[in-house]
Amino acid sequence: MKKKSFWLISLLLVFSMFLAACNSGNETSGNEKDGDKEEANTGEPVEGGKVTLAVTTAPEGVFEYAYYRSAVDAQILEFTGGSIYQVNDDLEYEPDLASWEISEDKLTYTFKFKEGVKWHNGEELTVEDWQFALETMADPAYDGERFNYVEGIKGAKAKKDGKADSIEGIKVIDDYTIAITFEEMKLNNLENLWSYPMPKKHFEGIAVADLGESEQVRTNPVGLGPFKVKSVKPGEYVELEKFADYYKGEPKLDNIVVKVIDASVANGALQNGEVDIMEVIPNQVEELEKMDHISVEETTGVGYSYIGLRFGHRDQEARTNKDDIDKFKNKDLRHALLYAIDRQAMIDAFLAGKGKVFNTVIPSTFWIAADESELNQYEYNPEKAKELLAGAGYKDVDGDGFVEDPDGEPFSISFGHYAGNATFEGRAQAIIQSWNDIGVKTELATGSLIEFNLYNDMKTEDDEALEAFFGSWSTGSDPDPSGLWANNAEWNFGRWVNEENDKLLNDALSEKAFDKDYRKEVYVEWQKLFNEEIPAIPLWENLDLYGINKRLQGVHINAVGFQTNTHEWYVTE
Amino acid sequence: MLQYSLRRILGMIPLLFLTSIVVFSLAKFMPGDPFGGEIDPSNTNPEYIEEMREKLGYNDPIHIQYIRWVTNFVQGDFGHSTAHKIPVFDLIVDRLPNTIFLAIVSLIITYIFAFAMGMYSGRRPYTWGDNLIAGYNYVGLAIPSFVAGIIAIYFFSFQLGWFPFAGSVEVGLQPGTWDYYVSRMHHVLLPALILGLMGTASYTQFLRNDVIENSRKDFVRTARAKGTSESAIYNKHILRNSMIPLITFLGFDIATLIGGAVITETIFTYPGIGLLFLESVDRRDYAVLMTITMLLSFLTLLGNLIADLLYGIVDPRIRLG
Repeated sequence: MKKKSFWLISLLLVFSMFLAACNSGNETSGNEKDGDKEEANTGEPVEGGKVTLAVTTAPEGVFEYAYYRSAVDAQILEFTGGSIYQVNDDLEYEPDLASWEISEDKLTYTFKFKEGVKWHNGEELTVEDWQFALETMADPAYDGERFNYVEGIKGAKAKKDGKADSIEGIKVIDDYTIAITFEEMKLNNLENLWSYPMPKKHFEGIAVADLGESEQVRTNPVGLGPFKVKSVKPGEYVELEKFADYYKGEPKLDNIVVKVIDASVANGALQNGEVDIMEVIPNQVEELEKMDHISVEETTGVGYSYIGLRFGHRDQEARTNKDDIDKFKNKDLRHALLYAIDRQAMIDAFLAGKGKVFNTVIPSTFWIAADESELNQYEYNPEKAKELLAGAGYKDVDGDGFVEDPDGEPFSISFGHYAGNATFEGRAQAIIQSWNDIGVKTELATGSLIEFNLYNDMKTEDDEALEAFFGSWSTGSDPDPSGLWANNAEWNFGRWVNEENDKLLNDALSEKAFDKDYRKEVYVEWQKLFNEEIPAIPLWENLDLYGINKRLQGVHINAVGFQTNTHEWYVTE
Repeated sequence: MLQYSLRRILGMIPLLFLTSIVVFSLAKFMPGDPFGGEIDPSNTNPEYIEEMREKLGYNDPIHIQYIRWVTNFVQGDFGHSTAHKIPVFDLIVDRLPNTIFLAIVSLIITYIFAFAMGMYSGRRPYTWGDNLIAGYNYVGLAIPSFVAGIIAIYFFSFQLGWFPFAGSVEVGLQPGTWDYYVSRMHHVLLPALILGLMGTASYTQFLRNDVIENSRKDFVRTARAKGTSESAIYNKHILRNSMIPLITFLGFDIATLIGGAVITETIFTYPGIGLLFLESVDRRDYAVLMTITMLLSFLTLLGNLIADLLYGIVDPRIRLG
């Protein structure tokens, strides 16, 4: 009996881990793209109507910006929420619920709110709702993960540490005017400032510690957006209905249903019309393009893939990165590794062509992106790669077909890739093959694709097996790459440290950079530095893909997603 | 018998205790934790992750974590889901009815088909029909349920449009209305058919063999000699005797059906315990993961006990104690 239950449990666990590995590791977690993809109006709009948006993971059911964690909850919040500013197609920040003025010393921002904006419960939006949000997030009892969005405000840290009852830097002037003073002058203070008001009246009487779990957040949320939550069936669907008093105009659709489906039936569900719109992945596209009533929309996004090269370790205590590994110190070697890879061929083979080769780590959709003419293109050229290797002293001394390092010692790279999607195995092998072909001996780290969570642990802990590793990021709309590539950034997994790097990144956030042209100039310089140094091998930027039933019209897709104008969506039948 | 039951129930305690050690260790040995995995660089800050790990005690020595978990667990506090941010108990109570409903419907389907096929096969062994049934059963046993699930969705939902392909109920129906229950039934039918029809093998073959065996026994010959009709012999005399081993399966089914629908629930996005379990593994939602596993272990032990007790009830020759 004992034996039986043990086996049952271990089998269940083993099996589910296996499945979990299949599910995780989808490349792009976020969704952002640019390009005007307003659909041609082919049919006549009809009044009302219902649209189904499919998602492949269940919402966690936390419908408040300050507390949510999952990308699916964020999608629902895009329908129900409202923000101080919005991000336009070029990823620039524009006033939405409020406009702002910046003081002389660039420390104080005065926000002027729109009047007459209504919450779903009929209350009017005032600056107190925003103040409430900021105060809540700086509260010591706040257990969400976004304190960093209020951290920059003067006095927020003091409140968090329990030394103050309220944030010193917030000053309410009247119902529609509020001034926020920051601790220090930083260019992206605004981008890093929390922009979502919280319905103060709705949350009245709930302690901050209980807020995240309250009914008011989970089943009965109140927002400012074009749609409000009508019913929630956990793990299954969320039904939204239109909010007629939406401040940008009454939505055209009556209902939107966000439905959870299994990824394996996604194409079928789009085909038979049960799903009207969903994000799709490249290997679904071929089949979808054959369906007459489905259009596949694509746009360049803020997600990209690269191969990280390990330069050192992270000192977790001191929160600094140290470059103490010499393997990839030689620049010609790094260039050779890049010339060896036929990136376009890989995009065609593994991403159904839905990707774009790039040569820095700034996706082209950003306004700071450098023009390709300013960058070295590193087109596929194995001969050149071999020349570079030879020139740098990497020669095959012992005649085994692989190069040795300049000291004549054997040289090999251990390359790691995570498990997941069926194309990953081929992709990892293609990279290994490319490097072997130019004589750089490369092996798959640990001998197989690595389970995604384990892989992340290994990256974080600077595991020795990951000398080179496949990585992907989705960056969000703030163009500043410091979080991922600054010398001491936690997520600079290659631990690349370069004096010029930090100098430029800091310069781009300095007071001088309030001049947009100057800021762009600095970022272009940074991209040139990256492009020349190749501290990680840039592969491609991903295209964001959406499958949309043609009965649904008016969907505007850009780099931040497909939900920027949901109140204008309409159906033609 | 009461004494026997009590002894067995007491005997479960050390077993469950050992199981809990295995469950806890396996959960903690999984790489990563709820704060690892896919990182959203613009929304996550490393200090927060550290703070939460500290707060939830993930940095404590493993035996301390274990003792804390067991102490709470025994007191009925199953912990908090890190993903859903609500008590695990609420989460499971929310999903359990779906799973039980699916389990019962599929069990009924299994019984109906298994009895029909088993009786037919047992009465006419080694005929075409018998071989066909045996063939079907082994194919059913061999096909993984996720393959069967996807094929069924493709034909019955997408091509024929007979059944919905996901969910447990139509969007927007109010609980309590007639339409709501009809919709529930409609949604549960396809996954239940997959589970039910794929699970007939053991019942059918067991029943068949038992019927064949019994039909050679003396009491059957006596009945025949008395002139009892063939159908009465099979449907009354033999079936009754052959049901004994089947009833004991019921005990095992309790745990299997609640835990065994993991894959089917996932394919059909049917929000039950199985789907919740898989999600929690994926998100390293330890509290949920461990509670469900403990629940399943408990049900397995309980199922065994029930099976043993049923033995004694249906066949008094078997003495317990």
